[in-house]
Amino acid sequence: MALINLTGIQPTEFEVLADDASPSEGATVAVPLARLLEAEEAFFKSAGSVGAIIDTETSYDALAAVADKIAFAVIDFPAFGDGRGFSLAVRLRKDYAFKGEIRAVGPVIPDQALFLLRAGFDTVDAADERKAAFEAALERFPAFYQTDFGGQVSVAHTRHSAEGQRKAS
Amino acid sequence: MYAYDTFDHAMVNARVAEFRDQVERRMTGELTEEEFRPLRLMNGLYLQLHAYMLRVAIPYGTLSADQMRKLAHIARKYDKGYGHFTTRQNIQYNWPKLSETPDILQELADVEMHAVQTSGNCIRNVTTDQFAGATADEVADPRPYAELIRQWSSFHPEFSFLPRKFKIAITGAKTDRAAIKWHDIGLVVKENDEGEIGFEVLAGGGMGRTPVIAKTVRDFLPVQDLLSYLEAMLRVYNEQGRRDNKYKARIKILVEAMGVEEYARQVEAEWEKIRHIPIDVPEEEVARIKAFFAPPPLAVLADDVPAVDELAGKNFIFKAWLANNTGAHKVPGYANVTISLKPHGGIPGDASDEQMDLVADLADTYSQSEIRVSHEQNLILPHVAKKDLPELWQKLDEAGLGTPNAGLLTDIIACPGLDYCSLANTRSIPIAQTITERFDDMKRLMDIGPLKIKISGCINSCGHHHAGHIGILGVDRKGTENYQILLGGSGGEDASKAAILGPGFDEDGIVDAVEKVVAVYLGEREEGEEFLAAYRRLGPDTFKEAVYGAH
Ligand code: HEM
Ligand code: SF4
Repeated sequence: MALINLTGIQPTEFEVLADDASPSEGATVAVPLARLLEAEEAFFKSAGSVGAIIDTETSYDALAAVADKIAFAVIDFPAFGDGRGFSLAVRLRKDYAFKGEIRAVGPVIPDQALFLLRAGFDTVDAADERKAAFEAALERFPAFYQTDFGGQVSVAHTRHSAEGQRKAS
Repeated sequence: MYAYDTFDHAMVNARVAEFRDQVERRMTGELTEEEFRPLRLMNGLYLQLHAYMLRVAIPYGTLSADQMRKLAHIARKYDKGYGHFTTRQNIQYNWPKLSETPDILQELADVEMHAVQTSGNCIRNVTTDQFAGATADEVADPRPYAELIRQWSSFHPEFSFLPRKFKIAITGAKTDRAAIKWHDIGLVVKENDEGEIGFEVLAGGGMGRTPVIAKTVRDFLPVQDLLSYLEAMLRVYNEQGRRDNKYKARIKILVEAMGVEEYARQVEAEWEKIRHIPIDVPEEEVARIKAFFAPPPLAVLADDVPAVDELAGKNFIFKAWLANNTGAHKVPGYANVTISLKPHGGIPGDASDEQMDLVADLADTYSQSEIRVSHEQNLILPHVAKKDLPELWQKLDEAGLGTPNAGLLTDIIACPGLDYCSLANTRSIPIAQTITERFDDMKRLMDIGPLKIKISGCINSCGHHHAGHIGILGVDRKGTENYQILLGGSGGEDASKAAILGPGFDEDGIVDAVEKVVAVYLGEREEGEEFLAAYRRLGPDTFKEAVYGAH
């Protein structure tokens, strides 16, 4: 597996906590959201850093309880066409002002690189042979029609800024 | 018309380069067909019965003469010399080669066109009234808003992998020619009591196997809030629309399941949270886009043109064409002309490369170089001076484009059906051809009056049969092609679902059935009563008896 870094964030190195295991002192662990929703404060305290593994069936309001306790989020796409993953990332950034790393795992494809970046993802787990295609896809579009959660301003706004008018003329 | 700036150009060019790369990766096998499929669909490339089919967007149905010439050129160079105009104001080419599609897209990009999101589970080409900006009965030209939506929805980071396709239609006129109530989102431009422009917002319409008419989500949405409101609507759908069953994945199912009040409540709640984010564009941007759609400077002319009356007096076909294929323009002395792509016995919506070139030339001469495509699969020349009508009609007639049947029984919508489509149960085009041959009598057609027949070759309803005054649906009956007849549908502001009348017919029987339905109407109608009104008054039983005999 290769890690594709979309934003240049310092990627989190974590292990996925086994179902019945408890985190060892100071460890960085990724834990299914369902378990985190039941977990006591002590659970978060003992681990060094906790991330949530979020499946696309998750309703965004379930994130409210953990958003300020987790350091990173792993959104698990069951299929690349499952667009709920994009909305979950948007919700984390928009509704919960989540600043930590958001990673996409599952069968997302290189052609989605910019969509992922712009929905608020930082990193993607991908097959080694896809790394080059992911990186090429990131470079593809010079501008965007929407203001997004990856920090892009829409063309509609740029057009009327001083800099945009220089570019458009 | 909207003209691209450097940003828009850069965007479509990037898209062409991306697609070229995707096609190459597919051809080398790096992309599996399963992975390539959604990518090609988002560029309008379908795999059909015999070949690939490329669907090119004609945003809100507006074309320049030069764009039409390019469409003709593509038909000539990459296809078999024709194209098919569709019910979503697009054009489809039925025979492109996969390896050539990137070149086609580049040629399109050169004239500010594309095939972006003409298919796939994303926000599709926004459709509107074919007479937008030119009709006497509109509150405001809806096209600037359609262009705003086009830009906002293109390559949307969050809404490009929706549960299912998503279609938005907008009308600026009270008479709904865009079938907005049959769309996932319908928008009606309106003016409130303070004289401000805004939209009535509807959601949850759709056809397919579960036909549903859209319901009102909000009575009045100020124009400046359009995009943030759409964003809230799409987010609720993207998160909660069903993904376990593609027949239940459209927004219509979600809205039915949660109830329109609950859907509206969730949308409003989300919208309140996002209104502060700069999703909506600055006022200057709306003004910039609006300026492209400023009405052409037309000098007011005399509304009565003696030469027109004179020709109409001695030529019945011209008289019929004037009555059916020309409509009132905003400016006195002008008309909007519908060019029928429904010659009797022909293929509804098809145009040859020569016909497209001719229409482009005529647009240069008579209609400010502007052309429209209607969802009824016809072409429109807006802003034609009435005094030019005799000359224009003669040129159209010589090219086989003068059929005076707009809005009449033979102005049939038909899907591609089994002649092209891999999902079809039955053929659609030959049924349209047989019906138009059977009714090939202008006097009879004029007597029958407005009557919309719509034919689909399967329940996916690409031919809008649910919205037909007379709908025809192809079904598979133990391996043979069978046609059901439906009555009483409407795609207009009085939208209604057509109801199945009874058992289906074979391909001769269905044409006889249509004829019997028409006979009942002619026998039972009251003074001045159109078909749909008569059906609504009479109910199905009178028709059932005539079609199936007494029980
Ligand atoms: C020939 C290849 C085509 C294929 C494979 C195809 C496929 C489909 C499918 C599967 C649906 C049902 C979607 C759903 O219910 O969610 C559909 C609906 C539709 N298609 Fe097509 N189609 C084709 C051609 C066309 C053409 C040529 C037109 C325009 C003339 C068209 C216009 C529509 C419309 C208006 C609908 C109904 C939308 C609704 O359900 O609200 N399609 N198509
Ligand atoms: S209605 Fe059915 S047969 Fe007709 S084009 Fe659509 S999918 Fe094909």
